[in-house]
Amino acid sequence: MTSRDVHDVLNLPSDHSGAPRPSKKQKTSAPRPNLKGLAREVQNLGGDNPIAIVPEVNFFKKRRFATRKPVAKWELKAFTNSARGDDGALVLRHWKRRTDDGAPPVEGAQDGDGQQQRGGGEGTPASEKREEKPEDSAFAKYNVKVVVPHYTEDQYHSNLQNNDWTKEETDYLLELAKDFDLRWTLIWDRYDFTPKPPGGGGDAANGKDTSTAVVPTPKQRSMEDLKARYYEVAAKMMAVQKPAQYMTRPEFELYEMMQNFDPEQERKRKQFALNTLSRSKDEAREEESLLLEVKRILARTERFNEERRELYNRLDYPATDSDINSFKTSAGLQNLLQTLMSTDKNKKRKSIMPGEGVSPSNNSGVPNSAVSETNPANRRESIAASATSNNHHHHARRDSDARTPATPADPTPTSAAAAAANKKKGGGAQQQPERRKLTQQEEQVYGVSYHDRLGSGPTFRYEKINKLYSHKSGQQQLRITNALSELDLPPRLVMPTAAVTAQFEVLWGAVTALVDLRKMSDRLDGEIKIEEAKKAERDRAKGIAAEMEGEKEKGEGGGGDGAAAAAGEGGKAGEKTGEGGQTKEDGEKKRPESSGSLTAAGHKRSASVLSAASDKSSKRQKK
Amino acid sequence: MAQQPLPSSVQPTDVYGGDEVSAIVLDPGYINTRAGFAGEEMPKQVLPSFYGHITSSNRDVFGDQAMYPRADFEIRNYMNRDSVVEDWDAATKIWEHALVNRLGIPRPTPPSKNGLNNKPKPAAEGEDVEMADEADLDETENYEKPMAENPLLMTEAAWNSPKQREKAIEICMENWACPAFWLSKTPVLAAFAAGKATALVLDVGGSNTSVTAIFDGMVLKRSVQRSPVGGVWLSSQIRSLFEASEPKVEVVPTFMVENKKPVEAGQPADARLKTFDFQISPSFRAYEEERVLKEFKESVVEVWRGPGRYLAPGNEDYAKNLPGRVFEMPDGSNQMWREQRFKVAEGMWDDNAAFPSATEEGKITKAQTVPGLIKAALDSIDVDVRPALLANVVVTGSTSLLPGFTDRLNHELTAMFPSVKVKLHAAGLSSERRFGAWIGGSILGSLGTFHQMWISRKEYEENGPGIVEKRCK
Repeated sequence: MTSRDVHDVLNLPSDHSGAPRPSKKQKTSAPRPNLKGLAREVQNLGGDNPIAIVPEVNFFKKRRFATRKPVAKWELKAFTNSARGDDGALVLRHWKRRTDDGAPPVEGAQDGDGQQQRGGGEGTPASEKREEKPEDSAFAKYNVKVVVPHYTEDQYHSNLQNNDWTKEETDYLLELAKDFDLRWTLIWDRYDFTPKPPGGGGDAANGKDTSTAVVPTPKQRSMEDLKARYYEVAAKMMAVQKPAQYMTRPEFELYEMMQNFDPEQERKRKQFALNTLSRSKDEAREEESLLLEVKRILARTERFNEERRELYNRLDYPATDSDINSFKTSAGLQNLLQTLMSTDKNKKRKSIMPGEGVSPSNNSGVPNSAVSETNPANRRESIAASATSNNHHHHARRDSDARTPATPADPTPTSAAAAAANKKKGGGAQQQPERRKLTQQEEQVYGVSYHDRLGSGPTFRYEKINKLYSHKSGQQQLRITNALSELDLPPRLVMPTAAVTAQFEVLWGAVTALVDLRKMSDRLDGEIKIEEAKKAERDRAKGIAAEMEGEKEKGEGGGGDGAAAAAGEGGKAGEKTGEGGQTKEDGEKKRPESSGSLTAAGHKRSASVLSAASDKSSKRQKK
Repeated sequence: MAQQPLPSSVQPTDVYGGDEVSAIVLDPGYINTRAGFAGEEMPKQVLPSFYGHITSSNRDVFGDQAMYPRADFEIRNYMNRDSVVEDWDAATKIWEHALVNRLGIPRPTPPSKNGLNNKPKPAAEGEDVEMADEADLDETENYEKPMAENPLLMTEAAWNSPKQREKAIEICMENWACPAFWLSKTPVLAAFAAGKATALVLDVGGSNTSVTAIFDGMVLKRSVQRSPVGGVWLSSQIRSLFEASEPKVEVVPTFMVENKKPVEAGQPADARLKTFDFQISPSFRAYEEERVLKEFKESVVEVWRGPGRYLAPGNEDYAKNLPGRVFEMPDGSNQMWREQRFKVAEGMWDDNAAFPSATEEGKITKAQTVPGLIKAALDSIDVDVRPALLANVVVTGSTSLLPGFTDRLNHELTAMFPSVKVKLHAAGLSSERRFGAWIGGSILGSLGTFHQMWISRKEYEENGPGIVEKRCK
């Protein structure tokens, strides 16, 4: 029952102004929260303005008998503050409630400090007892000091030399930093370094002389200068005390930050901030509206992406182009249900990974930019103008990271061939679920590296190499082994640590690439030679014809002889070099450029020789 | 609903970080000197920094009640117009008067008289005698060192010189034997009173207007800007207004009027003036005239609220149509003041609008106006803190109590920095505005965490007065 009901019953106008309000004067603060039974009903009568229920009081004030405890005793207690660092020289006094457990303070202990000290001098046991050290202030613990780097003279000279800064000024800067707890605004405000006159201590002692001497004008330091110097000192001293690889994560972050401080950038930022401060109201409004617009666009993109993903998820249903007759029985239906449930499960899992829904479109050739937009991690990049190229690179890199077991020193692939290979297989790696990307430093700090999917059970690292071997043909295996043995590398690594394996793999990749190239070049050579031989045959046929004609015309003049002789000579020389190559086995002379003059006979021989020679040449290159 | 009062058993330190050690806060200014116990909300003693000097007997008298017309009586001020102590002898006397005589700092009863040592000690009589002797010595010493129990927190202007500061600690330590001392700058304390550690403090006081940037409880020295545009300057403007008005308005101080009859507005006064059989010194007359002008300031003068300056076209005509205010001089002459009451204060904002001043120091430049000061202060500090400061503009000082002052300031600041959020913090209570620095000192002096800052007597004895320069930064 509420007040409205009451108003209805009494036929009163419903607004409260008409109704007389009972006992308005004596309102208590709030109704008690959990009333029961009748009390609650009564309370509800008031509705929004709860009726105050005031107990009737017909006496003015009860005498307080509630506590029969004696009056609380307070005493003027002396205390010190340990944060002052003066060993309690300053004794202040405040009123404290006397604690019951402690012995009641001896009267007279509160007289001035002088009294107390005199008491101590007397050395009587009673006075010693009351000479107890005054308690420490409860606020001493709030005293926090900033830690600034310290350095010795030697450390300064070996690490911290700077043409622009003297040691005195650096000392002064650090002193200020400590005094003002690294509040740079204050440090800069109070920075007033006057270098000592060059005369040194002797002059300074004279006092008056120095005032007339030429004092070098102090340099005007900007806040960025001060910060840059301080961070330089702090970072270097940090590294001196603890090499970077042993730092904990926050330490390392701090170290990185201090090392990467760029005063120029900071200056530019300030300039920018200054401009922002001085812009007019219209400009500010415009910027605000632009920002709003950007936000709107972003939100829309996100919604769009969300819808698209959902759509893909929906489209990704199990294929049902098979015969439906099998589902016409109840057993079949049961079967279908189970299939659906299992696909449903799959879908649920998939929907956790946002990249997943995209993959079909990726395979079916939707431009990469669209893909990257659906990927929340890359959304920001996609907004940038260089979205496509950027992302492409990004993807390639991540894939390569995922595929090759990255060495901590160099996670990016060293050879372009490897990168290309990885790029080719990029589509598959997309399927990997999104997880937090570690930066390079973090990977370095944690020693994180990426692996291929490992098979079950223990595997040896060198087995991976073996696997690579087994894919190659016997001849190539032989060549690779030859190349490796030329480099004094055993075919099986002695100490296959991750780094070594990775490095070996790179090397192995290079060797295989070279061998492949050689094979290719051999084939080309062979083709060229065949063509050459064909041409030579043709020429010879032509030459014979010419000779015959020449012989016919010989009587007239021997001028045409030269050309034919030259051709004949060329053929001979080719044979000679071919033989020479066979005997000397000199690879350099067997280079393709010289092969132009090879005869068909030479070509026949060259197949085996060339391969040997090419091996050699590749070895030489390596050496 | 108000907070429940704490039961007495709860240690208050846990609640608000306070820890009162009955420190005394002394806040000297050009017009008033404020003194009181730290932890209280108002200074217990506010007495004029002007004091009377009786030339015949070479005696100084302090306090309002001593300032009545008498023979050979001069009014002096121990501060100068820069709000820096000029006459240290007088300063010592007036402070002692304020702290010891008027504040009534309880002196410890000498142990020989407090009844605690009266226990008969039959055993060692000789010792007892010695004790008594020493107690006597103590007693005299205590008398000479009136504040041996109370740490003293003093305020100073932001531009105070190191010499002045050393003098202050010397007096405190040598003359009064305080156990601890601290010197704090008024704008810092005003910011504390407003509950800010970082603020831009605009202090419109009696003899000065200053703008100071406070960052994390410390003054940014480069930002300190000041100009004479304060209460006294405003009085001189009022005088110029009286000179310029038609007919001229004579300022007759109250003490000269014996009786007066009511007259119509604008009519010459009909009053009988007192005659004195001794010479009234010009300084006393000036002091009394200042009182009248002060009343005029408080009841008539108003700041043009903006937007735009008072001299902007149309504004003056609008002001003429506003209801005026009548002010009756002590001699009974009275007049309606309309647009003039806006114009008088406009010089604080717009140097072109100021009345031409007879004296050189009364003239002000554009840089000395309130907006000019704020601009200069902000330009001299790092750009990163400017928005934070503009979001915390603390207005303090009694002259800022002129009606419309904060409105105008708000308009000026938003016009000057359109893209930054400007927030003014001006205490609503007039006493909080008048005693801003003192209240801040009261807060600071009663903080538990502050006790580690005091310069103790021992430190003073070890390092000499130079320590104040090292510690109170």
